[in-house]
Amino acid sequence: MIRKSGYRFSTGQTQSVCPETMLKQMSNAAKNLLRFLGAGGLIMAAAVVLNFVVDPLQLFRPARLFAAMYSQDSRMQDAGLIRGQDFDTVFMGTSLALHFRQSDIDRVLGVHSLKLSLNGSTSVEQNFVLAAALERHPKRVLWEIDDWIFQDAPDIDSNTHLPANFYRGNARGFAEYLFSGAMARESAWILARSIPLIEKPVAWLTTGVLFKFPISRVDDINVLRPGFDVAGTYNAKRAMAAFRHVTDPDRSAYLADGAGYDMRVRNFERDMAGLIAAHPDVTFDIYYPPYSILQWVAMRDASPQTFEQVYNFTAYVSRRLTSFPNVRLYDFREAKDVTHDLNNYADVVHHAYD
Amino acid sequence: MFLPIALFGYFALGRFSNLAPVIWLVLASLAFYAVSSWQFVALLLASIAFNHLVGWLLIAYRLRSGVRFAVLTAGVAGDLLVLCYFKYAGFLAANLNALFSTGLSVNVLLPVGISFYTFTQIAFLVDAYRGKVAHYALPHYALFVTYFPHLIAGPILHHKDMIPQFEAAESKSPNPHLILCGLMIFAIGLFKKTGLADSIQPLVSLAFSPEASPSFDQAWIGALAYTFQLYFDFSGYSDMAIGISLMFGIFLPLNFNSPYKATSIIDFWRRWHMTLSRFLRDYLYIPMGGNRHGRLLRYVNLMITMVLGGLWHGAAWTFVAWGALHGVYLCINHAWNHFGPAVAPRFARVADIAAWILTFLAVVIAWVFFRADSMASALSVLSKMADPTQIVFGRGEMANAMFVMIYAALAWFAPNTQEIMGYDHINRTVGETLGAWSRRPAFLYASAAVLAFGILGIQQHSEFIYFRF
Repeated sequence: MIRKSGYRFSTGQTQSVCPETMLKQMSNAAKNLLRFLGAGGLIMAAAVVLNFVVDPLQLFRPARLFAAMYSQDSRMQDAGLIRGQDFDTVFMGTSLALHFRQSDIDRVLGVHSLKLSLNGSTSVEQNFVLAAALERHPKRVLWEIDDWIFQDAPDIDSNTHLPANFYRGNARGFAEYLFSGAMARESAWILARSIPLIEKPVAWLTTGVLFKFPISRVDDINVLRPGFDVAGTYNAKRAMAAFRHVTDPDRSAYLADGAGYDMRVRNFERDMAGLIAAHPDVTFDIYYPPYSILQWVAMRDASPQTFEQVYNFTAYVSRRLTSFPNVRLYDFREAKDVTHDLNNYADVVHHAYD
Repeated sequence: MFLPIALFGYFALGRFSNLAPVIWLVLASLAFYAVSSWQFVALLLASIAFNHLVGWLLIAYRLRSGVRFAVLTAGVAGDLLVLCYFKYAGFLAANLNALFSTGLSVNVLLPVGISFYTFTQIAFLVDAYRGKVAHYALPHYALFVTYFPHLIAGPILHHKDMIPQFEAAESKSPNPHLILCGLMIFAIGLFKKTGLADSIQPLVSLAFSPEASPSFDQAWIGALAYTFQLYFDFSGYSDMAIGISLMFGIFLPLNFNSPYKATSIIDFWRRWHMTLSRFLRDYLYIPMGGNRHGRLLRYVNLMITMVLGGLWHGAAWTFVAWGALHGVYLCINHAWNHFGPAVAPRFARVADIAAWILTFLAVVIAWVFFRADSMASALSVLSKMADPTQIVFGRGEMANAMFVMIYAALAWFAPNTQEIMGYDHINRTVGETLGAWSRRPAFLYASAAVLAFGILGIQQHSEFIYFRF
């Protein structure tokens, strides 16, 4: 059918312009439009059901129908762990807490622990995740702290990496979770993994990059992979190479990261001291991890002011923390036999397991 | 929510008047723009008023040719000055600083879509000068510039294509067929963006993130992943714009035609960001002389066009390098066409395949500059791609390579959106090739699924790559 302006639309083979056919065709197209929208809605509903049934993060219930799988993405995964796991102790920190397995903590301290550490996290993130975990009333918190986490950071709702509403468990969080296509993809993937015939290829393709739930044991989250080349990563050569890298004049600016003393104190008071004061019945075991001596040398040489700030800030934090009756503070930075043996390090700060 | 309201108002007003829906769409488009960039609405309006005024001077008055040229120059210069100020002042200051350590500091926010609405209007002024335009009423002209499906990232519209459509009465009554086809095209585009482009993003950062130190295979996987991410992201956006516009009964021009199926760089530029290529050809390359002043000048003009085209994407040396590289490719391509040996017919197929692979690799290498944050980072990734002694190829790399191959298969062998939907921009038809809908329920439901997956895939924090340009 051709309209006056040369403006055509598809009508199959019809050539007439009779109004009746037009009406019929119009209503046919309208019917199709409705079918299309209806089908789209139904398929979205199916994805919601799939997410609800498989529940990859275990936000609704511990995994029973399908084998539980876990993600390396702690900022997302922790929301499910806090809701789904049993624990009386939680462990928080940055990548410096990498080596500690829950099973080791449990064995040594005689507790039932849950590791929630977030790589490269700020105090805002740590505070938010810990606060969510503390709502389940653990008795004890193990907390690894670094001076650089107390920098100004965006508030938790503008943090693109951390789904805050999953932690809050509010309607919006559940809606975001259920209507997430990425999550539906993971759900379908976990579902596929439970089919014995294709289990192996599916597992093989799950590397954690595109499909994000590659881990089958809680204990293996956020630790070194089995078979990791420990000797090749942690040695004096690597540590010195890292030292040269960070002290290169082109890059050493980050050592003077601009996180001034006042900013650190303000963020410490809000994110750490505030949380401790609000939970007097919980014991906080807080420790400074043993950075290599190179970190301090690098900082002293690149920016003596920063070095002094960090020194003063640490003194402040130590005084403040020890004033709480429910805090025990440990400082491993003075363990000379560790910090001065560069074979313990992968770079200027990250220490090895033993 | 915005779209149904805009559609409803448009068709409701269309029952009473031919002009009211146009004004309604202008207001809706301005509202759409204001949501993300309210501080630049005034700039957009000023730009429209300025260009419409200059166009009116050129069209309505019988000015002497010298005056006409002066008016055109003033108009184009005004547009370019604004564009340069917002887009290139910071870049210029940074380079001056580097050269003379002047300590200049310029901090200008880039108004969203300025590159696009400046170009469309320059084209209008030039055509007005050439005497190829009748006078346009202000509402139609304003809609041509602000029309929300294209405002932020193109396609770069041409006034002669659009304004007659805005003036036509037909588009102002709802047409279920066009709405359905529009939704389907929109669905395909949305899925390309959220289902395909966003999902492969993690592989890109394996090679391009500042901390990355990729091996040979990882660098290639990253570069290829970006090649496909950019295509699905930008062509997805263009599909969505075409689809939304089609619901209003307006046909937007195509912007992509399976660019990675190209068998030469010349062919590639006829298939990639087609509206930009056409603009650069008609309003830069040809006015500079094009190929009319001998072979050497033709190559010079090509290089200038491509370098400026690169710079249009952003004020950075990486974009200049990307444009220059494509300029060189084009020169080689033209020289080969001229001096190269003719291919014997029985080898034509082999030659085509070889040309296709070579073209694709050349494009991938150029994208490294386009993606990298700095020249140093681009050269570092390229050096990794050229060093096959460093190979990891563990399970992760194998799995990633497989995912990249799926994307490659889609880009190389699958029909593109306009082929699937039978979208014919020139003849203003869509869906003709599909036959009766009722005979293809599976197609209907499949595209509904694509829409559902596209919507489900929307992530709060993902934006289109081309919004930055």
